Amino acid sequence: MRTQNATAYRFLTPYLLVFAIFWIWPIISSFLISFQATRTVPWRFAPTFNWGRLVGDPAFYNALKNTLLILVIQVPVMIALAIVMAVLLNSPLLKARGLYRFAFFAPVVVGEVAYSAVFRLMFSLDFGIINKLLESVGLEKIDWFSNVTPAMAVIMIAVTWRWAGYNAIIILAGLQSIPEDVYEAATLDRVSKLKQFFYITLPLLKPVIVFCAVLSIIGTMQLFTEPFLITERGGPGGGTETLGLLLYRQGFRSLNFGYASAVAYTMAGLAIAITLVQLWLTREPK
Amino acid sequence: MRTTLTCAALMLALGSGPALAQSGEITIWSWNIAASSLKATIEGFNKKYPDIKVTVQDLGNQPTYDKSIAGCAAGGVGLPDIVSIENGEAENYWSQFPDCFVDLHTLGYTAEDQKKFPDFKRTELEVGDKAYAMPWDSGPVAVFYRRDFYEKAGVDPAAIKTWDDFIAAGKKIQAANPGVSMTNADFNGDTEFFRMISNEQGCGYFAEDGQSITVAEPKCVDAMTKVKEMKDAGIVSSADWSTKITNNTAGTVASQVYGGWYEGTIRTESPKESGKWGVYLMPSLTADGPRAANLGGSSLAITSASKNKEAAYAYLKYTLETNEGQITMLKDFGLVPSLISALEDPYVAQPQPYWGDQPVWKDILATLPKVVPSRGTQFQSDAEIILRAVQTKYLANGYPDAKAALDDAAKQIAAATGLPVK
Repeated sequence: MRTQNATAYRFLTPYLLVFAIFWIWPIISSFLISFQATRTVPWRFAPTFNWGRLVGDPAFYNALKNTLLILVIQVPVMIALAIVMAVLLNSPLLKARGLYRFAFFAPVVVGEVAYSAVFRLMFSLDFGIINKLLESVGLEKIDWFSNVTPAMAVIMIAVTWRWAGYNAIIILAGLQSIPEDVYEAATLDRVSKLKQFFYITLPLLKPVIVFCAVLSIIGTMQLFTEPFLITERGGPGGGTETLGLLLYRQGFRSLNFGYASAVAYTMAGLAIAITLVQLWLTREPK
Repeated sequence: MRTTLTCAALMLALGSGPALAQSGEITIWSWNIAASSLKATIEGFNKKYPDIKVTVQDLGNQPTYDKSIAGCAAGGVGLPDIVSIENGEAENYWSQFPDCFVDLHTLGYTAEDQKKFPDFKRTELEVGDKAYAMPWDSGPVAVFYRRDFYEKAGVDPAAIKTWDDFIAAGKKIQAANPGVSMTNADFNGDTEFFRMISNEQGCGYFAEDGQSITVAEPKCVDAMTKVKEMKDAGIVSSADWSTKITNNTAGTVASQVYGGWYEGTIRTESPKESGKWGVYLMPSLTADGPRAANLGGSSLAITSASKNKEAAYAYLKYTLETNEGQITMLKDFGLVPSLISALEDPYVAQPQPYWGDQPVWKDILATLPKVVPSRGTQFQSDAEIILRAVQTKYLANGYPDAKAALDDAAKQIAAATGLPVK
């Protein structure tokens, strides 16, 4: 047994080496850096320098607030939308199902930079199609990128557009795994379609929905590209700055690696905490 | 015998070579118009140094910084020979990566060379006895305006002396030209108007010694108050860099207030509007107040990773330290020289056809000596982000007045940098 293990580990060595150098070491190293004052060279050990700042930093709370706001509004809306899309896709009345399935999934295939650029153009103040549409129905045009609330709305719309279809396809797979005879039995018992959805479809879909929610929440926690490109680095004035952007800005704009590491560890801690809460909430009853 | 002679001649040629006929390849990272202007100097440079091959890569502004930082953090891997750095950002680099760039003194940059550039361009580039970069262009602020829109509204730009005049003129111009905004500001990702007006009034984020925060001083408060007045008067519509260009070309903006380097952007991006644009001095807060400020402007630094430092330095010397190099960039792309002697060049006084034969450079460059230095410090990007957030909140009526807004900004900058508020 021992020798077998040793052989296995020897085969694993190349991977373990790469893993240690490119994963374990940076994780440890950034943890150590978070305890150092890195504003001037040479760096010195000062445990409260970054962590002390984090506790009282309005920029950190702003980024945290923005991230949580997107989490609380965008993720539920997107999951609900995805479920509706999945149910519609699953309808036997639907023609050209393959085409629709592809159309819903297509946004994920589009490059992030390309779709961000298109969204920026669509919501442009003077030349964007959205404002032209608003004006054509007699509404005031909106200065999307210079005000915090509309800018946040653009981010949420963009993220939802990109990921709703992806989640819908996963949920569709879940739908198709629900056995047909359950519905048949319900129909025989004269249970309405709506009730069937709430009492059969949703409960049986729960594991799939939780899976989608976990993925989406982790994705949102790390949200970066959209506020970076669509609202120009979290603009206006940090109004759409997420934790990921704050980390980037501190690390790679202000060259404050210590503080960036502290932010990174806070993000990781939050993601773990939220996931634990989720697992606890959705645990199987014993 | 013949072979020995040839050999001797060859050795002589090789031995005396490096000083005069350098060879090799150098690569430069830069952005937009600035990159184009560097490309324009290569021809003249190669007349003197035919064996040095210069490649300019236009990466765009942000990617240049991102890639430079990644390269410096990796100990110089993948860096080109020369990188462009804006003065406001420069100190951050020297303080974090002092070994990433060559001290130009080691390549022959003397005190005499340094004196050819104005002090306000050099403060951020020289730390102690080291000189990390050579000044490139500067950004004396001016108002670029559409003659036809102003004329249609009966507005005489020469009569616009204060920002209040500017607001009043804006209302008239917008009334006479439907669909046209008086001016654009990037309220999404910049604080350019606040920075220009406060620099004009002699106030900056930090004190000149870089040791305290001065952003809540009365003159900065006045500048911020004026920005809000302009926005509330409805004469500023928001537009980022590329939307401003679209507006220029589409004829939906009557004026742009920016550093002198914007001349090249208007001229090259909107070629069809030739003759329609003009230039006047930036307004002040009072009728007899100062009307000069600096916005932006960059420098060139040689990386320690460069394999051809001498060739790179030769390029800097030609492009930045000769009138020929600087005037080429001014002529082709409107990059305003930092080299003092270039301001005396005959080209500067010439009328410019694009600008309706106005000698714009004479007008713009005359303001340069009046510019008050404004130190970026290594905390510039921290302070800038805070100011953007405060400006956004202030413009949305989130503070009772500009004083309260800037007090809050100063407090936040102090928390982020550890510097005291003056």
